[in-house]
Order: sequence, then C-alpha cells, then structure tokens
Amino acid sequence: MFETSLCQILFCVLAALAILCAIGVVAYRNPVNSAMCMAVCFAMVAAIFFGMGAQFLGIVQLIVYAGAILVLFLFVVMMLDIHDEGHSKSIRWHSCVGVFIAGITAGLIFNVAISLPGATDTPCPVKTLCASAGELLIGDARQVSAEPTACTQYGGALPELNAAAAASMENPSISAEEAAKATSISDVKLIGKCLYTHYNIPFVILGFALLSGTVGAVALARKIRKD
Amino acid sequence: MIPLAHYLILSGILFSIGLAGVLIRKNIIVVFMCLEMMLTAANVALVAFSRAQGTAGVPVYDAQVLSLFITGIAAAEVAIGLALIVAMFRARRTVESTALNSLKD
Repeated sequence: MFETSLCQILFCVLAALAILCAIGVVAYRNPVNSAMCMAVCFAMVAAIFFGMGAQFLGIVQLIVYAGAILVLFLFVVMMLDIHDEGHSKSIRWHSCVGVFIAGITAGLIFNVAISLPGATDTPCPVKTLCASAGELLIGDARQVSAEPTACTQYGGALPELNAAAAASMENPSISAEEAAKATSISDVKLIGKCLYTHYNIPFVILGFALLSGTVGAVALARKIRKD
Repeated sequence: MIPLAHYLILSGILFSIGLAGVLIRKNIIVVFMCLEMMLTAANVALVAFSRAQGTAGVPVYDAQVLSLFITGIAAAEVAIGLALIVAMFRARRTVESTALNSLKD
C-alpha cells in the first residue's frame, strides 16, 4: 500500500513537471528556451514510460526525442537568426481563441477519461500515503481503504505486470516452474518478437521512410546554385 | 497502481497544450515543437492502453510497436520539416507563419 501511493505521488509529480514544461514551450518567447523546456518535458514523459513498465520505449523516447530531435531543433534555431515575436493586440486575441479551443479539447478528453468504468475508484494518493505512513509510525491497525480491485474495471488501476506469464509467452517451451522464476519482464525481447514477425513489412517501410527523409532533408536544405 | 484515467488525462492535457501552441504561436519552429508534443501525448495514451488491455499481466505489445513507429516517423518528419524551414528562411529571411501569404497578394 505504501509503495502504491508512492508510485502515485511520483506519477503526479512527474506529470505536473511535464505539463509545466509543456506550458513553458508555448509561453517562452525565445525558441531556445522553448527547446529546453521541450527536452525536460520529454524526459519526464520518458520517466512516466519507465513507471508504466515500458522501459524500452522510455529509452527510445530519451534517445530519439530528447537526444536527436532536440539537437536538430537547437541546431536550426541557432543557425537561423530569429527575432522574438512582437506584442500586438491581434496576438492577444489569437491566444485567447487558441486557449479556448485547446480548453474545449482538454475538457472533452477529460470527460471521456473520467467516464470510463472504474475511473474514479482509486482513493486520493496523498490521503492513502498519510494513512499508511501513520500506520507504519504509530502501529495503528486502522483499516486503510481497500486495495482497488485488480482490473475488473477497465478505467481503473492498471493490472500488475506478471513476469512469469511474460516469460512463458516469450518462450513457450519452458515449464511453469522455470517461468515462475522470472523476476522481471524483458520487454525488449517481446517488442522485438512482435516487430520482426507481425510488423516486419511496416518496419522495413519505416526504414525506407527514414532513408528518404534523410535524402530529402539534404536535398531541401542545400544551397541552390544559380547557374 | 495508477488508474488508466490518470494517464489519459495527462495525455489529453499534453495534447491540448500542443494544440494551443500550434494555434497561438507564429514562429514555425515552435509550432513544430508543439506538434512533436502532440505526438508524444499520443504515445503516452498508447502505452497506457497497452497496459490496460493486457491479459494475465502481460501488456499488449502491438501498441508499443505502434508507438515505436510513431517515434520513428516523427524523427523523419522533423528532419524534413526543419529542412523546409531552412529553405523558407533562405527565401524569405523570416520564420513567421504570417509571412507565408504570397498567394493572397
């Protein structure tokens, strides 16, 4: 219980930081500041991926977004000599309309998420943590609210990862006892298995897209000689 | 554990902030960063659904593969888009989206 609410608080902190940095991307005038905020935002999202047990995707997020894409952005921002956007009345009006539309979108998504069955079952993380910490310190046997029932309800708590099931799925020939010895899911193996069997052709096409992207970028950005 | 709804709300908020940035900002580079943020929000939702849909505690890895594809395509897209921005800067000496109005004049 203690661990569970710690997880929740960690998630809340990471999510709050990610959202703050996302606001920073939009709010900063200077594109370099925006790019730095974007890096922090993507690092936080990668941490949230780790928390969800998707270690491989977290690493990919860090390497591709916070590493490669960010460096590309910074490179272009510094290569081009960009002036700050000026203040004017039309910009303020623009921002009001933009924030209004974005607020409507956020409200719609929030409504959908909240109305999933079981979405509001989880108790408030801070309250749970205080209760369980008090229990640890004082030895009070007060009953803390029951653990949320494992995913009978779709919108509720995510199901716990089951390393044994994953091990037997990864290698169907091993026995149940051997599978039970597995302590962690090696999700790189499972993703790789999926990627190179079901999604082999799309993966190859992705490779072609990346190649043509590189060639196209070089072709577009080169200096055109006038002769 | 954290409920699916929280992840969806986080993803929705990130998406909306990205959308607001695309609508508000005039600097095309920042608009592009906001587009990347919207793609990341989609990734968060995909990974959360991959956990929620899993059977016997094993996530559905198809969703994570799809998210990997999104990341790869985003990388290619950024390369092309930034090259276009560089070409635009060469032609117009500005990266403001309001400067792209030659069809109007």
